[in-house]
Amino acid sequence: MTTTENTTTTTPAKRSIFRSEAAQKLLAFGALIVIFVFFSLASPFFLTKDNVIGILLATAVNGVLALGVTFVIITAGIDLSVGTVMTLAAMTTAVSIAVWHLPIPLGILVGLLTGMLAGAINGVVIARMKIPPFVATLGMMMIARGLALVIPAAIFGSVRPVYFSDSPLFGQIMMGSVIGALIPNLPVPNAVLILFGAALVAAFLLAKTVFGRYTVAIGSNEEATRLSGINVANWKTMVYAVGGLFSGLAGVMIASRLNSAQPGLGAGYELDAIAAVVIGGTSLSGGEGTILGTLIGAFIISTLTNGLRILGVPQEWQFVITGVIVILAVYLDILRRRAR
Amino acid sequence: MSDVLLVMEEIDKSFPGVRALDQARFELRAGEVHALIGENGAGKSTLMKVLAGVYSKDGGRIIYQGKEVDIPNPRVAQDLGISMIHQELNLMPHLTLAQNVFVGREPRQGVRFMLDEKQLNAQTQALFDSMRLRLDPRTRVANLTVATQQMVEIAKALSFNSKILIMDEPTAALTEAEIEELFRIIRELRAKGVGIVYISHRLEELKQISDRITVMRDGRYVGTEDAAAIPIERIISMMVGRTIYESAPEVPEHPSEEIVLEARNLNRGNVIRDVSFKLKKGEILGFAGLMGAGRTEVARAVFGADPLDSGEIYVHGKKANIKHPRDAVRYGIGYLSEDRKRYGLAVGLDVEANIVLAAFEKFLGKLGVVNSNKTRETGKYYVETLAIKTPSIQQRVKNLSGGNQQKVVIGKWLTADTDVLIFDEPTRGIDVGAKSEIYHLLNQLTQEGKSIIMISSELPEILRMSHRIMVMCEGRITGELTAAEATQERIMTYATQRRVLMAENGASGDPGVQEV
Amino acid sequence: MKSRHLLMAASLLVVLAMLVGCATPAATPAAPAASSGEQPAASSGEQPAAQTAARPFIPVISKGFQHQFWQAVKQGAEDAAKQYDVDITFEGPATEAEVDKQIEMLQAALAKNPQAICFAALDSQAAIPLLKEAQSKGIPVVGFDSGVDSDIPVATASTDNSAAAALAADKMAELIGGSGKVAVMVHDQTSRTGIDRRDGFVNRIKEAYPDIEIVNIDYGGGDHLKSTELAKAVIQANPDLKGYFGANEGSAIGVVNAVSELGMAGKLVVIGFDAGKLQKDAVRSGLMAGAITQNPVGIGFKCVEAAVKAIKGEAVEPVIDTGFYWYDASNMDESQFGPLLYD
Repeated sequence: MTTTENTTTTTPAKRSIFRSEAAQKLLAFGALIVIFVFFSLASPFFLTKDNVIGILLATAVNGVLALGVTFVIITAGIDLSVGTVMTLAAMTTAVSIAVWHLPIPLGILVGLLTGMLAGAINGVVIARMKIPPFVATLGMMMIARGLALVIPAAIFGSVRPVYFSDSPLFGQIMMGSVIGALIPNLPVPNAVLILFGAALVAAFLLAKTVFGRYTVAIGSNEEATRLSGINVANWKTMVYAVGGLFSGLAGVMIASRLNSAQPGLGAGYELDAIAAVVIGGTSLSGGEGTILGTLIGAFIISTLTNGLRILGVPQEWQFVITGVIVILAVYLDILRRRAR
Repeated sequence: MSDVLLVMEEIDKSFPGVRALDQARFELRAGEVHALIGENGAGKSTLMKVLAGVYSKDGGRIIYQGKEVDIPNPRVAQDLGISMIHQELNLMPHLTLAQNVFVGREPRQGVRFMLDEKQLNAQTQALFDSMRLRLDPRTRVANLTVATQQMVEIAKALSFNSKILIMDEPTAALTEAEIEELFRIIRELRAKGVGIVYISHRLEELKQISDRITVMRDGRYVGTEDAAAIPIERIISMMVGRTIYESAPEVPEHPSEEIVLEARNLNRGNVIRDVSFKLKKGEILGFAGLMGAGRTEVARAVFGADPLDSGEIYVHGKKANIKHPRDAVRYGIGYLSEDRKRYGLAVGLDVEANIVLAAFEKFLGKLGVVNSNKTRETGKYYVETLAIKTPSIQQRVKNLSGGNQQKVVIGKWLTADTDVLIFDEPTRGIDVGAKSEIYHLLNQLTQEGKSIIMISSELPEILRMSHRIMVMCEGRITGELTAAEATQERIMTYATQRRVLMAENGASGDPGVQEV
Repeated sequence: MKSRHLLMAASLLVVLAMLVGCATPAATPAAPAASSGEQPAASSGEQPAAQTAARPFIPVISKGFQHQFWQAVKQGAEDAAKQYDVDITFEGPATEAEVDKQIEMLQAALAKNPQAICFAALDSQAAIPLLKEAQSKGIPVVGFDSGVDSDIPVATASTDNSAAAALAADKMAELIGGSGKVAVMVHDQTSRTGIDRRDGFVNRIKEAYPDIEIVNIDYGGGDHLKSTELAKAVIQANPDLKGYFGANEGSAIGVVNAVSELGMAGKLVVIGFDAGKLQKDAVRSGLMAGAITQNPVGIGFKCVEAAVKAIKGEAVEPVIDTGFYWYDASNMDESQFGPLLYD
């Protein structure tokens, strides 16, 4: 067996919790550092405590959405509905707390379940009815958008935002600061903690659980996974449900941040989330992707937005620059693969 | 030995437009290697996929260990102790070896959904050790050669402690040494009482390894014989259901002296070194050599698929500037790739569309609208003249057998008015009956004045078909033989004529012609 | 397998049927009792033919319907419909980018042979051919809000956005003491209201207050969250910023969020535009110095009123200014603002 002996020289995959190849992490992380250094040199207002905290906070909602989409994209799927499902979850949370006067934790649960349910429906439509993910989640995107408008219309007789007037505590979920209470000099809002907490959970799910393993397996070779006796349809449904759960969390977060549920919000958020995932090195053809990469991708987007604003670069150019970075990130990834 | 482990009887299975299995049957004893053979499309793989739970049968019974069983999905098959190594590799390239071997059966820790990666790697290591495979369980599958992946598939199948192991063409991608190792493992398993189903096209191999042979044809059971007793010719005639003229070499008509294609001093890096040759009208020019000798590279360079560093190509005596396959097509050169599915065919399209694909402009009307009457006629014409077995020209090409797919590719290039056809391994993966049809077709083409370059790794094929033979080794042409001079020994001598050896021989004149 | 898929498709249809079943009552005369209950017939477009023949039918095509502002316009239009005994429909595309959707709505409305049309164009040029068709059929067109950039409309009921933003500029100058840096957050750089409010504010500052410098003009799409993040960056980059003008509700709320998150309350003069609960709360709590409100109810009312007059052949003013008002903590609870400061 000469050939098999030769293969002993191959390198085993990394075993960190974020399980990935070091190269991609370095690439994205390096890009983030470069962007940071550039803006720090270009403006004295960039590298201040308040502004860095601001960037962290600005990443929270998009970051959580992107975490959910990461799982879906690793299975070689796509989820276009995350933005409007987020809005719908914000709306159900707001209605639970502000209209039905449920306790806040219960209201949050309603939001999370709303997201998860929408995701599970996506999953069933994709895995059982064999509708392509693009189409299925496009449909859900419209359905969720419609429902987010229908709910206030049914309750108040007209489409309008729902406010958390009687629940000042709800806003504290995002904007309160547990860290600030402990270390007065570091008023990092809870939103940032939630983002990192969610990322840890996501990384654990992806690297250490059966769920994560099958997510990668399905994306790597769906037919082989099926032939290995794994119920691909069920696991796929779960992947979309988990993606939806993260959208639900983002919904609770944006409602808390804005102290209201805005029914018209959410369109376009899915593209930012997908961009973060892609910049983070997750392959749209499936099988490959990391939570850390997605997190870095989300930070790159919010850092760019913030830095270009601080420099006063005309906003039209911000879109152009972000677009170039998305394409560049994917192209570098292709080059890296080819080099292997 | 006489312990019957499995009986499949009256198995029916239909796919849209095709009756894949028609009252098929099969029997397997514990501790035997049972070869299952037949032409492509005979239903071997389908029958075994029914057993492995990949397809559900339309009718019939599966009796396993004396009881009738129902196998609706792969999981049930695995639980029963039936595993199958599929023809196409079925590994997850992004996962490690250990993760692949135990996918679906990962050891857990603590809470049920948490993986125990340490235990997983240890189990896999133990399994590899027992197979004498020196592999790191933590290697990613994507980093392995195809042959190694194949061994991993076998390891995976063994890890189920299967009572029945089905192998569909397991040796297709393996080297001789690897095949020996595989056979050793198969014999060990047989000694342990495992029933092994072995699907292969390599008839010599079957005589070596199997105890009994069952032949299928057109989805039906033909017969079961003792492997030791039955001669190969008998097996072949059972497979094709008719006697075919095997081995009688076609007497090559001497082609004209007109040169249609000439290559002068082609060079590309290390893979093509100073290659020159001439192709005459109506000739089959064989290209022999070992794997990696550079034959495919020369063909691709001539066809414009890869760039040349230097060298000239002449078509009908005029210098040709071929930078891209579409230039080659304009000069009347067609290339029929080794990997038909990847490079030669749009397998999702139907027969008609594939045939007209390379010459689409010919079928456009004045306004750029496709003249579908004309395409249909052309499709029908080639289906008839090339005897392509297909229910209709609207059949999707992926549903055809390998031999018929090859014919579709030929039809495609004929439609494009090519007069030089480069065949790269034209009969790879094609069964015996279809092979002889392809040979027939090649001869017919030369009689019509087409010129053919045929790359083949099968020496009998080269010897039987070629007017002249170019032998390559390590990127250079090491010898040229006429049909009269050529023998297997001579070709092998040239094919192993490595640079180092030539130097030792003092590169005196023509070393290869000396008898070995 | 097949039958299972059929089953699934069938159940999907059933769900759809149920959804439609739930949704339709809201549009039939049974529903209004449950909601506003004031104009039982006004909001329904699917009136029996006999009724349409008896009463003039005026479709109102707005630039949106989700936003509070449009809901207020709708209310005004319905009030006028009730008062003048006409039938109206009120519709608009989901976002202000959907020019094509709005054109489709206009086309569908024309096909119903209305007596007059009220129209707020997202893109005037795109609507011209259809408006010409209306003109040739003798159907009077009344513009409202941003109106229609053409001479076809017999009248336009709108806020003078330029003048309204200039008032915001005057208030800004007054509150920051006539000098210093200010920034502007606008909803977009392509819509009429976005352009008018931005230019109205900027031009007034340039003309009248040479000591005030406008450091940044940003576009947050009216999205609360995006506007917040943008405004935060601008405030970070300009520690000596004295004032911030938000040109619509979403933009203004974004600025308010930014100020409160950065702990700058009281250090920065924020001036908003339009109403809505969040903006009203901000004014009350002092986070926002004040805001300009339009009269959306008036816009809706006046345009339908003008349409009714045009049908009767009465003379109408070509430009009907529906007015705008400055409100702050001191005056916002006065009764005159009641219907203007919607939630």
